Amino acid sequence: MMLPAASLIKREYLRWIRAPTWVISGLMSPILYLLLFGQAFDLGKLLPAGTPASVLTHVLSGAPNYFSYFAVGMVAFASVTAAMFSGTGIIFDKQLGILQRTLSTPISRRSVFLSALTFRGMLTLIPAFLVVGFALLLAKVPGVAGLSVASGVTVLDAGQFLVAALILSVAFTALFLSFGFAAQRIESYFGVVTILQLPILLTSNAMYPVNIMPTWLQYLVGYNPISLAVNVMRMSLFGTAGYPYAAWVYLLGLLAWAILFVSLALLLASRALRTDGSPSDSALSRAIAE
Amino acid sequence: MAGAKTPNGHDVVIDAQNLRMIYPGAAGGAKGTVAVDGVTFQVRRGEIFGFLGPNGAGKTTTISILTTLLRATSGSAHIEQIDVQSDPDQVRRKLGLVFQKSTADEELTGRENMLIEAGLYGLSSREIGGHVDDLLRQMDLAASADRFVKTYSGGMRRRLELAVGMVHRPQLLFLDEPTLGLDPQGRAGFWRYIRHLRESQGLTVFMTTHYLDEADQLCDRIAVIDHGKIIALGTPRELKDSVGGDTLEVTVTPGAPDPTNLLQGMAGVSSVVRAGDTFRVKCSHGEALIPKTVLAADQAGIGIAGVTVTKPTLDEVFLQLTGHAYREEGESPHAPGDPEGAAPGPNGGRP
Repeated sequence: MMLPAASLIKREYLRWIRAPTWVISGLMSPILYLLLFGQAFDLGKLLPAGTPASVLTHVLSGAPNYFSYFAVGMVAFASVTAAMFSGTGIIFDKQLGILQRTLSTPISRRSVFLSALTFRGMLTLIPAFLVVGFALLLAKVPGVAGLSVASGVTVLDAGQFLVAALILSVAFTALFLSFGFAAQRIESYFGVVTILQLPILLTSNAMYPVNIMPTWLQYLVGYNPISLAVNVMRMSLFGTAGYPYAAWVYLLGLLAWAILFVSLALLLASRALRTDGSPSDSALSRAIAE
Repeated sequence: MAGAKTPNGHDVVIDAQNLRMIYPGAAGGAKGTVAVDGVTFQVRRGEIFGFLGPNGAGKTTTISILTTLLRATSGSAHIEQIDVQSDPDQVRRKLGLVFQKSTADEELTGRENMLIEAGLYGLSSREIGGHVDDLLRQMDLAASADRFVKTYSGGMRRRLELAVGMVHRPQLLFLDEPTLGLDPQGRAGFWRYIRHLRESQGLTVFMTTHYLDEADQLCDRIAVIDHGKIIALGTPRELKDSVGGDTLEVTVTPGAPDPTNLLQGMAGVSSVVRAGDTFRVKCSHGEALIPKTVLAADQAGIGIAGVTVTKPTLDEVFLQLTGHAYREEGESPHAPGDPEGAAPGPNGGRP
């Protein structure tokens, strides 16, 4: 029966909608990046005057200008940043005893996990969509850099863009959810998240073209799930020229990451939610023992 | 199935057999902590059964095992003849649970908390809405049902917990230290709600408490637990009788003859101890002895200055059974200077 999971999602939704500061703060940083960083920094302006436009297009793998290139990276950035908060709800639920109450009901442990993944995953898509909308809107404002897409973008391309955004959001929501299941305290959770945040973002091609990086870094960047998603998204909007592989190859790589992260989350969730196994592994039973 | 009834024909709702729970030691190296040490008891349908013991005695661990939140190291437990370990989901449907701490969601209203809990049992608000209203009314929360829980007082939160625990119409309710943190008035009020639920719905209640008066007032039967073991089980009356029943204090007028022989010859008297002009008489039914004593003393020409009856308390029961006084919350279970004093755990301080 779907009702138990729906009930948990409803609770998450009510809590989320009633804490507007969380909603606003989650949207602030990508918007500021677009408004300030995206406007201030233009890779194209670093090229000597008179350089043919094709050179820049080549460097930017088909994007017409740096802002457009950057804006797509920001879609992934916004989604991953939002996902970093995914595990917090579980920790609060643990500390407040809400998780324990939930586990005393007949709801299946898998439903507890899946409802968290579904709701939190949805939440990470909101800033992603907002970034797209905002970047497209900026293109209408005179004198301001905005997102301009190739003229031949089809519904299929848009669908491909969406699929990449969705898999990326599921992957990182699962990763950070798994930290939430593992962590006992919010401090340790954000400790881990802060350590991971910059390496994850900076070893991607969200902000800089991969072909201006040193070779060793190119390897790292090539396999980063953010890069894989961003490749697909850029191919959807700017065309496939300049990419060594087809979009489905990148999608497959991204999917592999998602499967890995979801598996990790399932493992850590089942350990945290286990009440009938070895109590030494169960955070819950330790909490009870205290 | 055998064991569904006691030899006296009582319907058994909870059947715990030799439950043991050993928490593994830190980092796997140290030896484990024995929280529950071979606990056996049965709870009958319709009774309020109390688990009484100081903090750390193993009460919450026992309730966690019975409510499927923890797997016992050994032993077995059945709820309505269903094994808690092999069929936890069925057991979860049978019971309602009120935790020590408030588990309601602060950002939600009282009603929302109840409806979401109902959803976890697969009950839609359409099916359960009327019942939710009823419960809110019974718990005197109808007026504040649509206010956020963060605005509730301590007593309201406890009542909401009770309502949430009852939302799926369980016939068996577990209460873990239900009145912890409430003032005396709030506690007395909460007892009224529990009694009301029991009477109106024929509920069986298993509760833990470390308040002696709570167990005395509310419970039909009490298991006294200390260091993970049940050290006594019976009605409050039986337990108190086990320490020698009532004490009759007979004070004679100065210069009156010694009434010891007279008192010792009366039915139900177990001992007489003299302290000046006052004679402390241990007996089974103090009230019944008063007129007899006065009459007999009058006939024997012994002047009586006063007679009082004191009832034994569970405090005395505990002291007699364990050799140490009952510890209230916040008091150290360890003697000063006890080297194990810093180590938490139910068996700390034992030889």
